[in-house]
Amino acid sequence: MTISTKNPPKAPRYVINGLATSPGYALGRVHKVAAREVTIVEEDIPEERVNAELHLFQTTLDKTFKEITKIKEATLERVGANEARIFDSHLMILKDPMLTGSVLKIIKDKRKSLRWALHTTITGLITQFEQIKNEMMQERAMDLRDLYNRIFSILDDSAPVSATHLDEPVIYVGHELSPSLLMGIKPGEVLAFATDSGGRTSHTSILARAMQVPSVSGLRNISALAQEGALIIVDGTLGLVILNPNESDISEFRGKQDVYLQQQRELFTMRQLEPMTRDGKFITLHANIELPIEADKVQDYGATGIGLYRSEFLFFGHSLPSLEEQREAYNHILNELAPCPVTIRTLDAGGDKLVSEISVLNESNPFMGWRSIRVCLDRVDIFHEQLKALLTANEKGNLRILLPMISGLHELRQAKAHIRACQEELEQEGHKIPHVEVGIMIEVPAAVMQVEQLAKEADFFSIGTNDLIQFTLAVDRTNEMIADMFEPHHPAILNMIYMTVVAAHKEGIPVAVCGEMSADPFSILLLIGLGVDELSMTPWSIMEAKKIIRSINYEDVNEIALHALKLDDAESVNAYLHQRYAQSIADLGINSYVPTKKK
Amino acid sequence: MITKTLTVTNKLGIHARPAGLIVDTTSQMKSDVTFIFDGTRANAKSILNVMMLAVPPGSEIEVEIEGDDEEETFQKLEQLFHDNFNEEPA
Repeated sequence: MTISTKNPPKAPRYVINGLATSPGYALGRVHKVAAREVTIVEEDIPEERVNAELHLFQTTLDKTFKEITKIKEATLERVGANEARIFDSHLMILKDPMLTGSVLKIIKDKRKSLRWALHTTITGLITQFEQIKNEMMQERAMDLRDLYNRIFSILDDSAPVSATHLDEPVIYVGHELSPSLLMGIKPGEVLAFATDSGGRTSHTSILARAMQVPSVSGLRNISALAQEGALIIVDGTLGLVILNPNESDISEFRGKQDVYLQQQRELFTMRQLEPMTRDGKFITLHANIELPIEADKVQDYGATGIGLYRSEFLFFGHSLPSLEEQREAYNHILNELAPCPVTIRTLDAGGDKLVSEISVLNESNPFMGWRSIRVCLDRVDIFHEQLKALLTANEKGNLRILLPMISGLHELRQAKAHIRACQEELEQEGHKIPHVEVGIMIEVPAAVMQVEQLAKEADFFSIGTNDLIQFTLAVDRTNEMIADMFEPHHPAILNMIYMTVVAAHKEGIPVAVCGEMSADPFSILLLIGLGVDELSMTPWSIMEAKKIIRSINYEDVNEIALHALKLDDAESVNAYLHQRYAQSIADLGINSYVPTKKK
Repeated sequence: MITKTLTVTNKLGIHARPAGLIVDTTSQMKSDVTFIFDGTRANAKSILNVMMLAVPPGSEIEVEIEGDDEEETFQKLEQLFHDNFNEEPA
C-alpha cells in the first residue's frame, strides 16, 4: 500500500503524548469521526414541501432502523449479547413518540425543514438528559448523540460507520468513538485509532487490541488539531502521535515500523515452540482477555489457554446481563479454546470497577470495601445466575472457575457451597454438569498467611499481583505522592509469592500469576525462579515471554530468586537482577519494545 | 378512565431498563397511559419521557389509563411494579 506523504507546506507539526492502549506503528491519513460539526440552519419551507419532508422523514427512519438492526446483529455475532443490548435502546428511542411527534410537529405546524426539526428535537433531548441529576440518565445523552450522528449521516447519504467510501485505510481520530461506530468498522479499513479521551479499558482500546491495530488514547485535543486527510503517525508502543510529521519523523517511523514488524514476524515463528527453559522446565503461558471476541485470536499468539477472563466486562453495560447472555459469552470462549483450559473469574465488581446496578457509590475506602467475592456472597441472586451460566456453558469440560479477593477459608467454603448448590439444582433439571476446578485469587495478604489451609481446599491459585502489592505495601499507586513505593520486586512481595508456591506444591496444585508482573521481562525471571507454574498476560506479550523463557536455565533463575528473597529492598533486588540479566535481556532485543514498569 | 397509584419498590428506581420494560408493556396495549410524578406528566409509551421522570426508589406515581383495555393494561403494569421489574427490591 502506498500513501502519498506530501503535506500542504504550512501544516504545523505537533507531537502529542497520550496513553499506549494497543501496540504497533501506523502512518496514514486522518479520518475524523468527531461529533458532527456541520451547522444546521433554521430553514422555513413552503407548504407544498411539507409532504416531501414528511416522506423523507419516514424513509430516513426506516433506513436508520434497518441499519441499527444490522449493527445489532453484527455485534451479537462479533462481540456478545450484552454489547448488542445498547442498540435495543437506540431502536426504542428511534420509535419514541416524543422524538417522532416533535419532529412531525415542527415540520407540519412550524413549516421547518426535516433537518432543522431533527436537529432541534434531538439536541433538546440531549440537553434535558444532561440536566437530570442522575449519572445513569446522563449516560443516555451519549446514546442520543450516537443516534443523532447516525440519522444525519443517513440523511446526508454519507457512510457514517465505515470508511468504505475512502480509497485507502485511514487513522480514526475523534474525541471518543461510540460503540456503534466501532462495531461498524471492518478490519482492513482502519490503520490505527487516536482519541482525546479514554483509557486501556475504553471501547476503542479493547477493540483496537482485538483487531490488532495500534491505538493511543488520552491525547486531550487531537480531534481539534487534526484536519481531515492530514498525515499522522500513531506510535501505539510508546503512546504518542505526530501530526503533520516532517521528513525525518517519517523516516524514523519507517525504521521503527520495520524493526517492529520484523520482531513480530520473528516472534510469530516461535508460536509452535514450547515455552521451556534450556534445562527443560515447562512454563504454561496463558492469555488474559476482557472480551469474548478476543478469545478467537489468543492461540495465534501461542497461548495454550485463557488464564484470566474478567467476567465483569459483561456487567458494565446498561443493565445486568441475563443468564442466557452470560452463557452465550462463556460458551463462545470455552468452545473456541477447547480442549485448552479457560479460567473465568467470577464477577469482580467494586473498587475502581463500578457496575451501574450493583455498586454502592461513596464508599470511604472502596478498595477495601464492598467488592468482588463479598458482593457475590451478599447478592446470591447475581452469583447463582453467573454460576449457572458458567456451569451450563461448560459443554466441553474445559472451564476453571476463579474466585477473586478471597481473604480466608470461610469465603472459599461459602463460594464452593454455592457452586455445589447450583450444580445440584441444574442436575435435578436434567443437565449433565462436567467436573469443574475451582481456584482462588491470592491477592489479599490474609490469604497468604493461611495459604497452607487454602491449598488443601482450592484446585489452583492465581496470584493477582496488583492488589497483593497494594495491600501488602499499603501503597495506592494512583496517589502520586507515594506511587514510586509501589514496588513489585519488594522482598516482602517476593516472599509472599514464594510462600504461596511452596504451600501449593506441597498439596500438588499449580500457581499462576495473572497480574501485570507476569509480562515484565525481569519479573518473569523472578517468578519462574520462585517456582510459579503459569504466567497469564495480554496476548501480545506471550511471545516475548516465551523468548525469555527459552533463553534461561531454571537452575540459574531459581538461585537468583532465592537470593533476592534475602535482600534488603526492591532497589537491591533490581540492581542484582540488572547486574545478572540486563545484558542477556538486551541481547534478546526485548527492552526496545517492552515497556518496563520499573523506573 | 382509571386513575391509580403505583409504588416503585425496586432498589434503583425507574432507570433505563425498567423504562424499557414499561414501554414494552404499554405499547402492546390500546389504551393511552400517563404517569404523573412530582407534578410532571409523562407518556408511558415513550421511553424518553419515562426515563426523564427519573423516578427514585420508594416513590409513588399516579397512573392514568384511558382506552378499551384499561383494566388489563393496569393489571400488567401493576404486575411489573410488583415484581420490582425483575430486579432487586429496595
